[in-house]
Amino acid sequence: MLENLLSAGTLTQILVGLSRTTILFIVSSGLSLILGVLRIPNIAHGSLYMIGAFSAYTVIQFLGGGTLAFWAAMVAGPLVVAALGFLLERGFFSYLYDREHLMLLLLTFSFTLILGDLVKILWGSEYRSITAPPIFRGSAEVFGLPIPQYNLFLLLVGPVIAVFLWLVINRTRIGKIARAAAVDSEMVSAVGIDVGWVFAFTFVLGCFLAGLGGALVAPIVSISLGMDHSLIMEAFLIVIIGGLGNIWGALLGSLIFGLTQSLGILVWPQFGIVFPYLAVVVVLVFRPKGLLRSAW
Amino acid sequence: MRRIGLFLGGVVLACVVAATGFAGDTIKVGIVDTYTGPVTTYTNDVRDGFQMAVDKINAKGGVLGKKIEVLLRDDTFKSDVGLTLAKELILQENVDILMGTINSATALAISDLAKKEKVPFLVTFSKSGKITGEKGHRYVFGMNENTDMIGRATATVLAKKPYARYWIAGDDYEYGHAIAESIFGNLKKLNPKVTLLGETWWKMRESDFTPYITQILAAKPDFVIVATGGGSMVNFQKAAQSTGFNKRVPFYQHTGIELSTLMPQGQNAPEGVFGTANYLFYYPDTKENKSFAEEFQKRFHRHPKSGAVYGYMAAQFLEKAYAKAGKIDKEKFIDALEGMTADSPIGTLEVRACDHQIVLPMYFGVTRKSPRYEFLVAGDILSVSGKDYMPSCEEIMKERAK
Repeated sequence: MLENLLSAGTLTQILVGLSRTTILFIVSSGLSLILGVLRIPNIAHGSLYMIGAFSAYTVIQFLGGGTLAFWAAMVAGPLVVAALGFLLERGFFSYLYDREHLMLLLLTFSFTLILGDLVKILWGSEYRSITAPPIFRGSAEVFGLPIPQYNLFLLLVGPVIAVFLWLVINRTRIGKIARAAAVDSEMVSAVGIDVGWVFAFTFVLGCFLAGLGGALVAPIVSISLGMDHSLIMEAFLIVIIGGLGNIWGALLGSLIFGLTQSLGILVWPQFGIVFPYLAVVVVLVFRPKGLLRSAW
Repeated sequence: MRRIGLFLGGVVLACVVAATGFAGDTIKVGIVDTYTGPVTTYTNDVRDGFQMAVDKINAKGGVLGKKIEVLLRDDTFKSDVGLTLAKELILQENVDILMGTINSATALAISDLAKKEKVPFLVTFSKSGKITGEKGHRYVFGMNENTDMIGRATATVLAKKPYARYWIAGDDYEYGHAIAESIFGNLKKLNPKVTLLGETWWKMRESDFTPYITQILAAKPDFVIVATGGGSMVNFQKAAQSTGFNKRVPFYQHTGIELSTLMPQGQNAPEGVFGTANYLFYYPDTKENKSFAEEFQKRFHRHPKSGAVYGYMAAQFLEKAYAKAGKIDKEKFIDALEGMTADSPIGTLEVRACDHQIVLPMYFGVTRKSPRYEFLVAGDILSVSGKDYMPSCEEIMKERAK
């Protein structure tokens, strides 16, 4: 079994695992951001991811396909979700920040049901599919084994998003305020800063990331109702093992999840699904509060 | 006060009269199925195919002078909910017949109830071989193919192919395991030279199959049996297309050539994928199939899929069986339906008397592009007729005796 790790397939598995990491990181960093700054355990994050995928599909259909339509969809899909996030934050969450977590949890849960039905009304229950633009179609070869070019593209996107988030959080004024608000929002408002808008910005950014994850994953999977379920569970596990609210923890968690999955499949294909969850258990046994410092 | 009492009494009386009156006027068919979530892409076809046939029957004046009334219930893919709804349909609505479900666990639970309450239950879509196999009984009927049948039909075709080293990959739940074991078990019997190189199992609703495919390719099998269902069908084919899997190693999927899998992918579905299906709206190219497909398309603005035929035929058999029974009676209905044949868009179908399983052809084909449609279709279609692959009545009885 373990000798499989020394085969030609290992490098392909690592690359494929890292491309999965990209999607997981983009989605879970958004979840973590909202959890850290706004203290909302947003179960509807998965639904927003699903809407990102469906929106990307609609944009591509509307523009008639092709490379340009693909790029437009990758931008417009997440923006649609961000706009929806803005409405949700201003319309509902902004009134409820001082409530208990349980209340917020219930509200986000109700949003998963409502948004799920909304998708069903707008897009129906048929499976949808989009394809990558011609330049990312087909596969490249690594030691005689194929790796889809789209996965290689995702490998480039991951670091770009990570750097972008780092810049927003550490180099912008609103990022700094958001970090301060995460520690003590009362103090931040006491010095005359409108915390409400900082919260709105953070929520919208988190939703944008969910939508981006959905749009980016759309060419790999079938876009369908229910695509939110398995992802939201994985994203929560990642956020928990990484440290609640710490987006670098989300990156670390995504790496662990993506790589144990792809390498686990290589080592023991019959039980490959077990490995990421085993890793979660191991982390929680030794670091119950997560790998990196939690914002909570 | 007395007046109000009298009035209320009158209302109650009217309700009772109305209720009993209605019960006698129509034939009530209760359908429990999943009408929320992704599987509706299959269940809506069963419902619409059934409704289309029922509307035609009712327009002619119904069966034995009675119209068919359809009661729909949504079990949201949960067995306990499905069972409760089936109970409600039997006890409160007094249905004459139960139908459904896409979830095998729900179907088996309702089947148990149907046996206890002595209500005929026509299973439409659940693929577990147990329904009419080891757990079969007088009140349950299988109106579509099951994992046993899929395995046998597929094995008869694969046994003639030159592949020796097989790999099995599938959804880690009952349907995936049942279908893979059935195919490989039967294949091994027909061609003892085949070997199993290895197996891969992923969780249900897995979305990204790329790491699984790259691993299978590294193992270099001759042929891969892919045992997936639902949304995984499309997901797997997309990953196969982007990795070039289909060009390196041939693979098979039940419903891999079906519309529900190929239409969402448009022109970008992988070519050369082997698959089986019970229904293709463009094959066989007969008058019956064409007129059925056109009628369905005209009414629902989409091509019919397998589910549409299951629903449509359930209604045909229902009409014929009541006409033969001569009265609306549950036991007489079952007696009439046993061994009954009916014409369908895919030829004459039979409901076997011994195990209540419908006998229908299985189409084995390979995906290819078509100049006529904006999606891939099945080519090189081999029609495996029911009698060539059905388990014999003796085998079924042996299973039930266990």
